[in-house]
Amino acid sequence: MSSQHGEGHVSAKDRLARMKSLEEILNTAMAFEKTAQTFYEQLAGRVRKPLRELVAELAAEEKRHYELFEAARDHPETEAHIRERIAVPVNDHRFSDYVHMPALGDHPDDQAILQYAMGREHAAHEHYADLAESAPEGPLKELFKFLSDEELRHKGDLEKRYYEIVHSGGV
Amino acid sequence: MDVTPKYKGSFVKPLKALSHLFREPVTLPMVPRPASDNYRGFHVNDWELCVGCGTCRQICDNAAIRMIHIPGLPDDPAAGLKPRRPAIDYGRCCWCALCVDICPTGSLALSREYVHVSPDMNTYFILPDEKGIHGLNFPKGWAKTDDADLLDLARQPMPQRDPDSRGDNFDEIVHGYDDQAAILEASRCIQCGMCHEACPANMHAPEYIRAIWEGDKERAVREIYRTNPFPEVCGRVCTHRCETACSIGKRGAPIAIRWLKRHAMAALDDERVRTIALEGKVEDRTGKSVAVIGSGPAGLTAAFDLAKLGHAVTVFEAKPEPGGMMRYGIPEYRLPYDRLDADIAVIRAAGVDIRCDSPVGPDLPMDKLRDDFDAVMLATGLGAGRSTRVPGTDHPDVKSAVALLDAITRGESIDVPGRAVVIGGGNVAFDIARSLARLQRKTSGRVDMTLVALEERDHMLADEEEVVEAREEGVVVLNGRGPRQVVLAGPSDKTLGGLETVRCLSIFDEEGRFHPKYDDGDVMLHEADMVIEAIGQASDTGYLGEDLTEALEWARGRIEVGADGATSVSGLWAAGDMVEGPDVIHAVAAGHRVAESIHRFLGGGTTTLEAAE
Ligand SMILES: Cc1cc2nc3c(=O)[nH]c(=O)nc-3n(C[C@H](O)[C@H](O)[C@H](O)COP(=O)(O)OP(=O)(O)OC[C@H]3O[C@@H](n4cnc5c(N)ncnc54)[C@H](O)[C@@H]3O)c2cc1C
Repeated sequence: MSSQHGEGHVSAKDRLARMKSLEEILNTAMAFEKTAQTFYEQLAGRVRKPLRELVAELAAEEKRHYELFEAARDHPETEAHIRERIAVPVNDHRFSDYVHMPALGDHPDDQAILQYAMGREHAAHEHYADLAESAPEGPLKELFKFLSDEELRHKGDLEKRYYEIVHSGGV
Repeated sequence: MDVTPKYKGSFVKPLKALSHLFREPVTLPMVPRPASDNYRGFHVNDWELCVGCGTCRQICDNAAIRMIHIPGLPDDPAAGLKPRRPAIDYGRCCWCALCVDICPTGSLALSREYVHVSPDMNTYFILPDEKGIHGLNFPKGWAKTDDADLLDLARQPMPQRDPDSRGDNFDEIVHGYDDQAAILEASRCIQCGMCHEACPANMHAPEYIRAIWEGDKERAVREIYRTNPFPEVCGRVCTHRCETACSIGKRGAPIAIRWLKRHAMAALDDERVRTIALEGKVEDRTGKSVAVIGSGPAGLTAAFDLAKLGHAVTVFEAKPEPGGMMRYGIPEYRLPYDRLDADIAVIRAAGVDIRCDSPVGPDLPMDKLRDDFDAVMLATGLGAGRSTRVPGTDHPDVKSAVALLDAITRGESIDVPGRAVVIGGGNVAFDIARSLARLQRKTSGRVDMTLVALEERDHMLADEEEVVEAREEGVVVLNGRGPRQVVLAGPSDKTLGGLETVRCLSIFDEEGRFHPKYDDGDVMLHEADMVIEAIGQASDTGYLGEDLTEALEWARGRIEVGADGATSVSGLWAAGDMVEGPDVIHAVAAGHRVAESIHRFLGGGTTTLEAAE
């Protein structure tokens, strides 16, 4: 999905309000990945063993993403752009929602965890895809693009798993 | 070699020979004349159509055909595909073309090519493809025609109740074949054995079909019981993978293998069936004991095998009656309880002690069972209904299909809704829709039942006959619609108003992953007093307790087992829907594997019941 920033009826003021520095964006994205990682790690300690493998996998995925961001942030080329302001995607609010710990209750089951994870991957995919469009050429743009594809692929895997798990039994 | 001058002939001989040089040759080069349209020349075989069933080989009286394994060809027993193709020995072939006339797929034909000259004998043994013996693409000669087809492609119809006489009761819908229909149906079978390989339990279908054809029902029942202690059940509700693989089904209607099994079972009284089923039972007791948790087909199959092998088997069942989903899921109009009881009576007669109303859990913990028994098998199925969890599904009048079916089996009084919507497109959804429709007709004389399925009509998960029969009974089936929310009757009215659905444009993405896409502009409200979810089931393994749950290995939310059903914990096995699924015959097959493994574990060596017979 392409972003619609700066088009038609959007006023110059609005447009300005929708601009953020790459540093801010990067920080939000890293917080997004970190929250999820922490959430899944804490959850892994609470769920029964049958679910632990799933939750641990999800945590590992988020950790990997966080580390990628870290590497990109510390990349010498990033330094030059870090204060540049670029357009923030229209779905920013949905993405930001996921920066907070979800309320899944004390004992979420496989379905609830998968639904949360899929929603998260979906928001992240859209968000990173939009950022990839607005970001300046360089390692950050590459990273957003890579992550957007990753999130989509992972969401697809989770959907398959969701279908196998939830839509099973009876014939 | 020296030749005496006397025999060298006249000195003018070479000149004479020269004079022949410009004469027309007497022997003409061999140009074959065109063959007639129906000529029986060398074979051609369309490898795309051929399924490798080997019927051609079986019919050939001259033993001129051998089946050759071809690596790389599709090898899919469930689809009835074997990676082998017929090779013809032209030293033996008499070109009778019976192989062509019997070929179920119509892949084999004789071509109009008939010349092959070679001093190399090996070239007379060929593996024909569609290009023929020399790759010359000769046209077909003798090929399949309706007149020359040895196969009967039409199935004997199954007599059954019409919609009017079945719509308000739970009496079994089908009546079963009479002897004549059964023999005619059995006579269509070509004994290729594709069914045997497709069946998860490898039932000896060709053998029992042949026995039915010969009128020997006892033998048929004996063949059936070699691999399946649930013949009454499977003769009615089996998902009949055998029929999917049946070679006759490639061009016509597959043999009604399931109905033939039902027929064989109906022909013998229960006492006689019991005697046959218990043949081969080991009389000496081994002194070993096995606990089985759950009395569905997986648990009871293993229990039956183990009891026949001389072990003391106790089955613990949470519900009041044994049978698992065969009783508490499958409605009686498809599977009458007395027929399920007949199968279970045989299992009990083998010595299996089935204890109902005995849930394993706090009052009967796993630890105790593991202490008291030499081996324990888990076969507790998928008993809990899943919910879509769309908004509003926490309303008390949103029910789970399996819970409702359970209540119907128990004979509990149900508030039959005047109008109901079922979410789901599989057989479970149809089972509850059709059951409730019957209750609606019984209580109010009218049916108001809608079933919404994500899938389009031609991709429904449910069997075609379920869809057709449900419609005949008044169920409205709406395809390509996904649930959006359950709505209330009014802003301040807490009663259920109905289900809102949205058009589903596609369910899976390009890579086949579940990813429904909806058209938000196409929303419908289905007014209803009850919404029933029938999208899937979950297992409840809480009874295992924390320690055992931790000790076990899990994969994708299910207990991890080896091919023999053994878990990572010694002395503990698991099988059936809780680890694999999805149907009775898979549960039966898994039950056998577990029994064999437990028997070995208990020191019984590699003896299996099949081998012991
Ligand atoms: C509505 C419906 C229709 C179906 N229709 C067909 C069909 O037409 N054809 C077909 O082949 N398959 C059909 N199936 C699927 C089939 O019924 C199952 O695949 C099969 O029954 C699974 O066998 P099982 O032995 O693994 O478990 P189940 O049959 O589910 O049996 C498990 C048993 O374990 C018991 N249990 C659970 N927990 C405990 C405990 N803690 N202590 C003691 N006992 C416990 C349960 O009460 C139950 O009796 C249908 C399923 C449903 C739900």
